[in-house]
Amino acid sequence: MSGLLPLTGRELKKWYRNPVFFITGLLQPFFWIALFGSAFDFTKFDPSATQFVLGGAPNYITYIVGGVLTTSALFTGMFAGTNIIFDRRLGPMGRFLSSPIRRSSIVFSKVISTTVRIMPQSVILVVAALLIPDGLKFQHGLSVPSVFVIIAAIILVSIIFSSIFSAIAIRMTNMNSIFGIVNMINLPLLFVSYAMFSPEMMAPWIANIAKYNPVSWSAEAMRMVIINGSPSASQWGQIGVWMGALAILAIGLVGLTGYLAEKEIRD
Amino acid sequence: MVNIIETKNLSKTYNGKIKAVDNLNITIQEGEIYGLLGPNGAGKTTTINMLTTRLSPTSGTATVAGLDVIKDSMKVRRILGVVPQDLTADEDLTGRENLELVAKFYDVPREKAKERIDSLLKMVEMTEASTRYVKGYSGGMRKRLELIIGLVNDPKILFLDEPTLGLDVQTRSLMWKYVRQIQQNLNVTIILTSHYLEEIDALAEHVSIVDHGKILITGTPEELKASLKGDVITVSFKEQHEAEAMKNISGVIEATDSGPNTVRIKVENADDSLPGIINFISENKLSTVRLTVTKPTLDEVFLEYTGRDIRSEEPTDARKAMMNMRRVRQ
Repeated sequence: MSGLLPLTGRELKKWYRNPVFFITGLLQPFFWIALFGSAFDFTKFDPSATQFVLGGAPNYITYIVGGVLTTSALFTGMFAGTNIIFDRRLGPMGRFLSSPIRRSSIVFSKVISTTVRIMPQSVILVVAALLIPDGLKFQHGLSVPSVFVIIAAIILVSIIFSSIFSAIAIRMTNMNSIFGIVNMINLPLLFVSYAMFSPEMMAPWIANIAKYNPVSWSAEAMRMVIINGSPSASQWGQIGVWMGALAILAIGLVGLTGYLAEKEIRD
Repeated sequence: MVNIIETKNLSKTYNGKIKAVDNLNITIQEGEIYGLLGPNGAGKTTTINMLTTRLSPTSGTATVAGLDVIKDSMKVRRILGVVPQDLTADEDLTGRENLELVAKFYDVPREKAKERIDSLLKMVEMTEASTRYVKGYSGGMRKRLELIIGLVNDPKILFLDEPTLGLDVQTRSLMWKYVRQIQQNLNVTIILTSHYLEEIDALAEHVSIVDHGKILITGTPEELKASLKGDVITVSFKEQHEAEAMKNISGVIEATDSGPNTVRIKVENADDSLPGIINFISENKLSTVRLTVTKPTLDEVFLEYTGRDIRSEEPTDARKAMMNMRRVRQ
């Protein structure tokens, strides 16, 4: 046994027992969709914008749902890193390190629990988006494979970002450093991506860089299934590329994080 | 008697030059309480970290219950219990949940774990408190919980690092009682480090004093005290020349300076020597300010062998120590 199961159980216990943590985690994505989505409703100036800017989405909220799901995975992922530092500063890390468990299980328990925590958030977000006025519309329905694309994309981005933040936290003892790093990289990850804005709206140089951002891959894959319901064969090809890239990145980062944890994690 | 821990020329060098542990040879017998003493930076923590497989030695070998700490590190971990100086329990879980978590790390079957946790909680009188969150515990309760977390896996050997740091005198003597119970009832070998030498004196059967990564002396507390060959009489005067004069008194094993106008005199037995000293003072009309007789304690032994006073030493790692003190005193 590696200790992964008990450690993940511990993380989840700490999550659902802390009402503030639990409720803010659920409310935050709701604000994203309801406030951000409604504040930027530029389609009212020119209804044809839905075609040439929003790739056929009926409104802006429908366009950004995939992006907001990705972003909330990004923001939740950073807790994986801060929790590692808390464990180090408050003592439990010392106990984990002297126990006969694999060191990578300490870090992977954060990655898994973060991914689990994102799931109810995502469900609430989608429900909220459906309920608000002029909100999310599935114009062409939503096929079962499309639902799987959305779930898989959320799981992959949360693994990617919680691995990145965990890897950063492996040797870190100072809480301020990780918050600094998180704030520094979150902004470009979010705005140099197609999460909230389409390439047509961006300056060309940003649009070009944003192509290589995993936030864009996930947002675009979800967007394509949400807008089209049942994508065409060529669209599936494109979705396959994005999802494949996310999967390769996730596997690579999990490997790297596991390796760093086994080698480098200290009290 | 069986040796449960044996090291042969155990060494650890940091960054290729700092010798934290230098050809250390220790043997610890099964079932005893063994005290490890030394100033900060003496190599105690490094030694313990190597024995508990947290660090790998640069050279030399160490065996724990016949298992090599490098080759069989995972097996070694399973038979060890560790109670570090820092608090390690998760504040957001209850006492029992913390115990259950650690039991799972060691794959203790659920039924067996419950039985063991119940009996450990009973031993430290915390059955009632075990369903409460650790953040509500007092300092003494936290230390008691830490003590039994280290015993959940039914270890053969328990490493206790500063078990009573920051605790009041009453709680400390309660902890001593538990430590003795653990040794006797659970048949556990205990390796103890402490800054409170009276704690080592009260509990340990054998003591080693370590400095600069080497063992300076090993023995029972009584042997160590006897090795000082005598009692210490400290006399303070108004003038320095009086202190100098005092050094020439006969029947003295050793006389050294000990602060301004103060002389530290070592004699075989203070009860026999004091009359002579008092006579010397009155004959020479010396102006004595203060006269203290110290029968050897482990503090004296420590001072003798390391040249340092343990009471002026701070426990290691200032950041963690501060945090601990704050949490223990809540």
